[in-house]
Amino acid sequence: MGQGTSVTEPLLKVRGLGKHFASAGQTVNVLSGLELTLAPGESLALMGRSGSGKSTLLNILCGLEQPDAGFVSIAGEHFAADSSASGPNQQRWAMLRRQRIGVVFQEANLMPALSLLDNVRLRARLAGQSDQHCGDWLKRLGIGELTQRYPDQVSGGQRQRAALAMVFAMRPSLILADEPTGSLDVRTALEVADELFHQQAASGCALILATHDSALAARCGQRLDLAQMGA
Amino acid sequence: MFLFSASQFSNLFSVLFSHYRRHPLQLLALALMIMLATMLWTGVNHLTTQARASLGQSEQAAAARSQLERVDGQALTVADFVTLRRAGLCVTPWLEVERPGQGGRLVGVDPLAAGCFAQTAPAAGNNSPERIDSPESSKKPEPAWTPVLNGDPFIDISEAAELAQNVAPSNVSLSLLIVPPEPASALPADYRMTGFSLGPDTGELGDSFLLNLDALGFLVLLITALLLRSVYQLGMAQRRDSFALLQRFGVMPSAINRVLLVEILLLALLSVVPGVWLGRLLAGTVSGGFGQALDSLFDTPLYAGQSENWLTSIATMMAIVLVVCLAQNVQALLLRTAAVLSFALPAKLLTGFGVRPWPWLALPLAAIGLAVALLAQSLPLVFFAVALVFAATGIAAPFAIAALSATLARKTREPLACWRHTELGVMARRLALPLVALQFALAMVLAVQALVTVFEVTFDEWLGQRLAADYFIEVPAGASANAAAQWLAAQPELAQSGDWHQVVRGVAQLPAAANDPAMADPKMDNPKMADSKMAGSKTDRKAQSVDLFALGPVSPLLTMWSLQAAGDQPWQGFAAGEGVMVNEQLARRYPLAVGDTLVLTLANTRLERPVLAIYADYGRPAGEVLINLELLPDEFVPVFESFSISPGASDITMITDGLQRLWQVESVRVRDNKRIRELADAVFDQTFLLTRAMTFVTLVLAAVALLIMGWVFFSTRAWYFRLLQVWGLTKRQVLAQLGWLALTLTLSITLLALPLGVWLTWVLVHRINPLAFGWSLPMAIYPGFWLQLGVVSVLIGLSITLLMRSQLGGSSPKPVSAASLRGDER
Repeated sequence: MGQGTSVTEPLLKVRGLGKHFASAGQTVNVLSGLELTLAPGESLALMGRSGSGKSTLLNILCGLEQPDAGFVSIAGEHFAADSSASGPNQQRWAMLRRQRIGVVFQEANLMPALSLLDNVRLRARLAGQSDQHCGDWLKRLGIGELTQRYPDQVSGGQRQRAALAMVFAMRPSLILADEPTGSLDVRTALEVADELFHQQAASGCALILATHDSALAARCGQRLDLAQMGA
Repeated sequence: MFLFSASQFSNLFSVLFSHYRRHPLQLLALALMIMLATMLWTGVNHLTTQARASLGQSEQAAAARSQLERVDGQALTVADFVTLRRAGLCVTPWLEVERPGQGGRLVGVDPLAAGCFAQTAPAAGNNSPERIDSPESSKKPEPAWTPVLNGDPFIDISEAAELAQNVAPSNVSLSLLIVPPEPASALPADYRMTGFSLGPDTGELGDSFLLNLDALGFLVLLITALLLRSVYQLGMAQRRDSFALLQRFGVMPSAINRVLLVEILLLALLSVVPGVWLGRLLAGTVSGGFGQALDSLFDTPLYAGQSENWLTSIATMMAIVLVVCLAQNVQALLLRTAAVLSFALPAKLLTGFGVRPWPWLALPLAAIGLAVALLAQSLPLVFFAVALVFAATGIAAPFAIAALSATLARKTREPLACWRHTELGVMARRLALPLVALQFALAMVLAVQALVTVFEVTFDEWLGQRLAADYFIEVPAGASANAAAQWLAAQPELAQSGDWHQVVRGVAQLPAAANDPAMADPKMDNPKMADSKMAGSKTDRKAQSVDLFALGPVSPLLTMWSLQAAGDQPWQGFAAGEGVMVNEQLARRYPLAVGDTLVLTLANTRLERPVLAIYADYGRPAGEVLINLELLPDEFVPVFESFSISPGASDITMITDGLQRLWQVESVRVRDNKRIRELADAVFDQTFLLTRAMTFVTLVLAAVALLIMGWVFFSTRAWYFRLLQVWGLTKRQVLAQLGWLALTLTLSITLLALPLGVWLTWVLVHRINPLAFGWSLPMAIYPGFWLQLGVVSVLIGLSITLLMRSQLGGSSPKPVSAASLRGDER
């Protein structure tokens, strides 16, 4: 079980988190008694084999799934498992996702009918940020010349850079990245990871990165191996 | 299959078919679509084929034959048949019975008597005293009449007699056909011969009616074909990744195509057969009403056993399903053939010169279609124009929505609104086929609804005019109508109210234009043939017969008629004998306008009078002249005479008793107009209900198709709605976005369907109806219908939203295909 060791006020605090699924008539515990603390600027690598609960944990940490036990505290908002699914809590989760939590998936992070720039603008505006610097974010991530292209007109690596630009344009407190380089070739994956860590460090936000890549995980300050949790 | 063993083929088939195991609703939608399309088309086609065959049957069976009537007006019985046979005359009974339950008429004949008839039939037509034939037609040998007693529609008269016992007397009619004897005096004095006809020669009218039905059937087929293709194409789009994977595993594309062919063949066969059965069932259910409508409106009986067989319907629909679903394969095959034969141009044509999907083509197509619809003088051309305009709007509508969305997306500063607009554009393009089908169905419903309502209102008014008198009293053969008129005029009640007039019907001749060499054409002596030649300008006008309608005195029952066009005080002029009135059919075909001088020949008397007014005369093809009774020369021979009477406070029996005494007959035939009106209303209601039901089913089908397509399409976009949730929108907010999109899309297509529907109404009322039937209807627009259609489209949009709601509630969102991972769904 990983433990946060921050000296500043924690951004994320997870206590006794549990989640189970019913499968073929049996209950499968995916997460059980998980404890986790993460401060701003820190990074955590989530490791574990497929089905170990990495994506489930990320979904719980952004309120898209409800835990069965424990509680989550994030950016001063507290959510207990028994009340997490309630309407007001869903509203609070939505506000957190909109303004404080950026999520990057392995693929398909962009709206296909919008250009890269419009995607970034949409995400920034939803977060309540100005869309004036969206083009700059695309430039910083090395795809400044592709602002008017559509997602299907650029490569997979460029799409992931655009996804990172979207996340950073919203100025998040926490980034949840679910195998963001998993579908990219080694070189592109490295470039995208470089950008991710660079911008994360520069912005001072926290990062939780789910990955199978040990090298990538090694670049994070902390590491949590879900496979060892005996799920 | 060559290159493939049976087990390999079977494996490949099960792999490909597994798509439908994952998407059973798609399979169900496809099967339902094929079945419903087959049902609708088979239903309409079954009725049309039956009607067309019945028309042919009428012409063949009744061609140039004569029938007998009793001079005393009594109904014919078996005793009459026996009497006539004993007199050595060739007589054959013809017993028509409405087929119980299934609709359509059966004809009972006596094979023995028919045999005698067949041997002597060739002479029959020429000797018929009631029929005036051209020299050409009299030279033609009469086809031998050898009815096959298989129920199509002939059966043995004993069976017909049995059936007749179980149906209402009004659905049974007995005629005695006769070969006119030589000499004519051989006919017993109690009988007289009249021409035997199963109804008046409907000529163009019948053909036009059937053409309209064909057009409705074609439109239904087009709409269902569009829907079928859209559902199939969507499935294919979802399976593209599987095909690519199989090809990577070494499966040849041709093998995949073969399996797909077998798959759709099986599915089509399984769906088409019940579809044909349902279609025939539908036709059987409505054929009662349809037959009644055909009989009442067009005097054409609907006979049993005239429809196409099962195999023809199944083969036709199978071919349509295969072509619609495998259009791309057919195109590829044609392209390959063109390449092999080095035909560069056909290949280019087949691919549309590489330009897709030709939005620019919509404008010239629409312009040509509108111009042709406005100017064309033949029905097929007008239908062609309608097809052009429909094609143009079908091409333009999705692009118009997409273009408008793109413009709005560019102009908006709100990124979420920008996304909504662009997403709407994607939907308009991706759902183009079901959208266009819905647009066509909406336009059709709008037009048919407006037309039917106009029909109902207009026919109601017209019936009110024509049946203004409470009773019709027929003048018996040999009785004096003039003496009766004098007697009626002397009745105090009638003299005070004036609510009666005498009616005389007959035939008048309109001369040819002076420079017309066809004036001497003997064909022109035949009223029916002449009438069909009436179209054209004054300069190529030919001699013709028209129906004559003489009335007098001019009663309040007449002056309430609403006239289509009239000069000043037309009824005063008419009462004074200063002019005549013509029906719309004659005015259109001759052509005539108010103030034109009409020259008529009545018996041998020439009458020249100005046209005072043009009156509406719905539901029949013939031209008609209305004149004051006083203008009729003494030598004029009426075909029919009657009196229209509203007795007011008096009892009609007092009048009929008086007339019986005057005419010295045992009874007079009195028709109660209220009852006729009720019957006519019932027939119209049934006819209109049929048309409405057919269009409504088409609309429901289109709506359901859009619903299914919308649902399936949104399923492929569910990931992006979940992205919005990930980006901080609540589920309710995401649902609102979804609702906005679905409602905007369905309302947009409804808005685009409105002008098309109004235009189609105009074409039906002002172009097709006058060309087909010779009379027009007033054009009316019913915004209430628009509102109803708006409500329907809102319901469709809301249904899509509600269906999608469950998908948004799913747990972990995953892109559904490689294409969506790449973002190819723009």
